[in-house]
Amino acid sequence: MIRLPYVPFLLFCTILMIAGCAQPPAEQMSAAEQAVKDAQQSGAATYVPDEYAKLEGTLSAMKKEVADQEAKFALFRDYGKVEQLAATAKAEADRVKGEAVKKMDEAKSAAVQAHRDAQEAVKKAMDLVAKAPTGKDRAALESIKTDAEALKASLNDVQMMIDKSDYPAAKTKADAIREKSLAVSHEIETALAKVSKAKPVSGKKK
Amino acid sequence: MRLVHRSGNFVALGLLLFACAGLFGCSETVPSGLLEAVESIDRDLVLLHAAEMSPDDYARFAHQWMALKARAEAEEDAIHWPWEQNDLEQALRRLEEEGVRTVAHLTERRESLRRSAEEQLTQVQDRFQILTSRVGTIDSRLVLGRKPVETDLWITQARSFYEQGQYEHSLHASEQAAQRIAEQALVLSRELGRYADRERITRWQEMAKDTVEWSRKHQASAIVVSKADRLLTLYRNGKRVLSYPVRLGFNGIREKLYQGDGATPEGRYRVAGKRGQGQTQFYRALVLNYPNADDRKRFLLGRKAGNIPRSRSIGGQIEIHGIENELMAQTLGCIMLDNSQMALLFTHVEKGTPVTIVGALQKDNSVALVLADLSVRTNEI
Repeated sequence: MIRLPYVPFLLFCTILMIAGCAQPPAEQMSAAEQAVKDAQQSGAATYVPDEYAKLEGTLSAMKKEVADQEAKFALFRDYGKVEQLAATAKAEADRVKGEAVKKMDEAKSAAVQAHRDAQEAVKKAMDLVAKAPTGKDRAALESIKTDAEALKASLNDVQMMIDKSDYPAAKTKADAIREKSLAVSHEIETALAKVSKAKPVSGKKK
Repeated sequence: MRLVHRSGNFVALGLLLFACAGLFGCSETVPSGLLEAVESIDRDLVLLHAAEMSPDDYARFAHQWMALKARAEAEEDAIHWPWEQNDLEQALRRLEEEGVRTVAHLTERRESLRRSAEEQLTQVQDRFQILTSRVGTIDSRLVLGRKPVETDLWITQARSFYEQGQYEHSLHASEQAAQRIAEQALVLSRELGRYADRERITRWQEMAKDTVEWSRKHQASAIVVSKADRLLTLYRNGKRVLSYPVRLGFNGIREKLYQGDGATPEGRYRVAGKRGQGQTQFYRALVLNYPNADDRKRFLLGRKAGNIPRSRSIGGQIEIHGIENELMAQTLGCIMLDNSQMALLFTHVEKGTPVTIVGALQKDNSVALVLADLSVRTNEI
């Protein structure tokens, strides 16, 4: 039988124990941190940099809140706001990750398509170079041939950029290659139309 | 009765306090419009690509903004007494001020970056155009190999990045293009530097002088061809008889190294044979004794040094000939004249006539002038 005068003391001790045991929501915090890390690995910092910066801001606010609470006397600690921030960070990180993945996929598709278009344009130019008459403006023909070879070699740079996931740069370069290849093809077609009557020079030693 | 009166006073005091709390304490934690103002600054920063342009500035803003936004949401229902200091509002006001300053600073920086990118792009485009035009005047495009296309691609990328508002990328691409232009100037200087080499020109002048002297001494014809001037001059008895413009090999400006390089050889040659109509596809032709001993020596040295591919031979059948087809702008290494001029030259020349082919006869020849001009421009880059 507990004597009545001890009841308030025991009640105080129980409250102290319960309040003193208030711990940061480790699981939720860790889930939030992992979600932000996942978003970063999904290219969020590159494809949605502003959203990602805000995400880091939320995470940092969460950590600060934990530190603020930990600095308080155990009885007055309240991790409700931390829980709320962790939940926000997690939800936002998932959304940002989805957006980054979407943007990256779009950028990748655009780069791959641009690479394909550039390859086709270069092939067309190379085919036309092979058809060009050797007997006319040989210097121009040799220049065009060198240009076409340089364009073909540049396609490797685009592939390397795609392999490194540098899609925007890959697309810009592929577009440039395509544009130049079309110009080269046009140049040869114009020349072909002009010199269709030209005879080839016989295979003499020079 | 006194008890009732006292109770009434307490109730009145309680109501007064409640009214005060309602009037002051329950007012908004953050004034309306302040959160929207910061939100609007954030939108401006996003539009300015602040996260890419100045990641640290934007991260600082975003961190503060997210922390304050979270606090504002958490304290939405909090009661503040009028005498209490509202540090959230103060922090938001500070962030607003800082944000406005960052927006102004980044707007200015972006505009300055845009101007630099535009300037660089224009400059590099102009320089490339000048280089292309100068190279065209001395028919040395082939000397540059793949570099012109590489430059062109960088310029196109710089333009594309500029149009997309990615000024830093545009600047980088323009720098790459400028570097390629400088490399081209260096290649030209390395490959064609002999046209600006005073000693070499003096040697060429001496070769030409010897040829003219031979013509005078032997009371015979002799030919001197200057590649830089694209000019053939016929001497008879030491006197200039005629000068005709000529076309050279498709890579004629270079020093001939091997078969198929399109270069026109330089050296002292003789007419080894004459081919009249029906004996050549090129109207009339004077066959030169290329390769001579010097050419063979040069070829062997070049092969030893690895400058000549193993599969290549020294070549031959270098001629001075007429035109088979008007559309032919160059030869494979021969010297080509218009048919009427070729007809006249053909009559003046015999088997054994000396033919001296030199790079240039003047110090200020066209190639040397182009090299000097490009060198000045390269130093400006």
